[in-house]
Amino acid sequence: MKTAAFLTVFLLFAGLSPAQQVKWNYDKLAARASETVDVSLDGALLRLATKFLSDDNEDEAKVKKLVAGLKGVYVKSFEFKKEGEYSAADVESFRAPLHTSDWQRIVGVHSTEDGEDVEVYIKNEGKAISGLAIIATEPKELTLVNIVGAIDLDTLSELGGHFGIPEVEVEKKK
Amino acid sequence: MPQRAPSTAGALDFAGLVRQHQAMVFSVAWHFLRDHALAEELAQEVFLSLHQHLATLESPEHVQFWLRKVTANRALDVVRRQQRRPMVSLEVVPEPVAATSAGDPMLGETLRKLVATLPEKARMVVILRYQEDLDPTEIAEALSIPVGTVKSQLQRALALLRAKMSRSLGEKAI
Amino acid sequence: MNLEDELRSALRRREPSPDFTDRVLARVAAAPAPHAARPWVRWVAALAASVLLAAGAVEYRHYQGERAKSQVLLAVRIAGSTLHKAQRKVQMLHTAHRSVS
Repeated sequence: MKTAAFLTVFLLFAGLSPAQQVKWNYDKLAARASETVDVSLDGALLRLATKFLSDDNEDEAKVKKLVAGLKGVYVKSFEFKKEGEYSAADVESFRAPLHTSDWQRIVGVHSTEDGEDVEVYIKNEGKAISGLAIIATEPKELTLVNIVGAIDLDTLSELGGHFGIPEVEVEKKK
Repeated sequence: MPQRAPSTAGALDFAGLVRQHQAMVFSVAWHFLRDHALAEELAQEVFLSLHQHLATLESPEHVQFWLRKVTANRALDVVRRQQRRPMVSLEVVPEPVAATSAGDPMLGETLRKLVATLPEKARMVVILRYQEDLDPTEIAEALSIPVGTVKSQLQRALALLRAKMSRSLGEKAI
Repeated sequence: MNLEDELRSALRRREPSPDFTDRVLARVAAAPAPHAARPWVRWVAALAASVLLAAGAVEYRHYQGERAKSQVLLAVRIAGSTLHKAQRKVQMLHTAHRSVS
């Protein structure tokens, strides 16, 4: 029976995927989560993936253009059975690696209405963006995103809000 | 890219691979064929083939992919050759040893028998989905059929099983 | 009753006979050594084998590629929707701020 192998194509050492820009350690969180989505794609896998993305499909063509040249895409999303399974200290531990001079927080939204918070950080190298990090929290869900490379934020956001994005079953590993 | 293991038979210890994967291979065959002796024979032949092809397999993940694919397709070949459809029977069939389950054993046995009455492709799709926890893309790759076909077969199989379970158990809705 | 949960339970893996591994290893050990064939037969067999090997490797590469594609689409969907949500909230805050001032 598949356990930790789902969607994870790398061995995870101390919660850190190879070539991931942000040193997040989410082992404890993963142990408490009822469901986990785990995507780890380095440059080689991204290049392989782009060969299978269709130019004839509008959304796939946009995704293909978006990820071309990226060095890594890492997404961890944890769902919990009840509220309170992760603490403010847990979230702060994910912020800590981004409190350096080369990371800049460009968006910080806190919503008391629905308890959803989103923080978006970009990594600067000179005038160019060389990375993106997102920390998104909801009462029963926590998502961490690290994209390594020059990512087009407008296109990414547009794809995220676009109904036409391919319906991908969010198969979760337990 | 997943780390590439040395592709030598020594690096991928054959006996260890048999012990590691025998439950998977045997169970796919047994759930599909519902014949213990035939399932063991098929499983043995799969591992004999593995031994012959071991040097060509790149990694432990490749071994698992190969075993699932070969087991599924060989099992389908057996049924096609024999053109047999297992009958739903109330006869108590000796069960192979299984880990303790919290579920209702009678319900489980009824379900297994009903799965065995599904058309061959649908039966294998259900087994790969619920025994091996494969997603539709992985099932499609294992059986060399389109993902859309996998999804529609899964949908139809579940509907059929629900209807048969209702009749079998006399429940109004499942 | 959740049918999918019941199916997972009903279709859980089972072990074959306790001596299964020993029997496999015994069969492997007993498999006859391939006898020398005429050169052209060996050449055809080698070609057939290499085609099969290449097909196996190609199939696995295709499997890896399709999986990588699924994962990229999933990652973009999650990252994109999170970013989009943040942008919407910022826009709503701007709108609320403008209407108040």
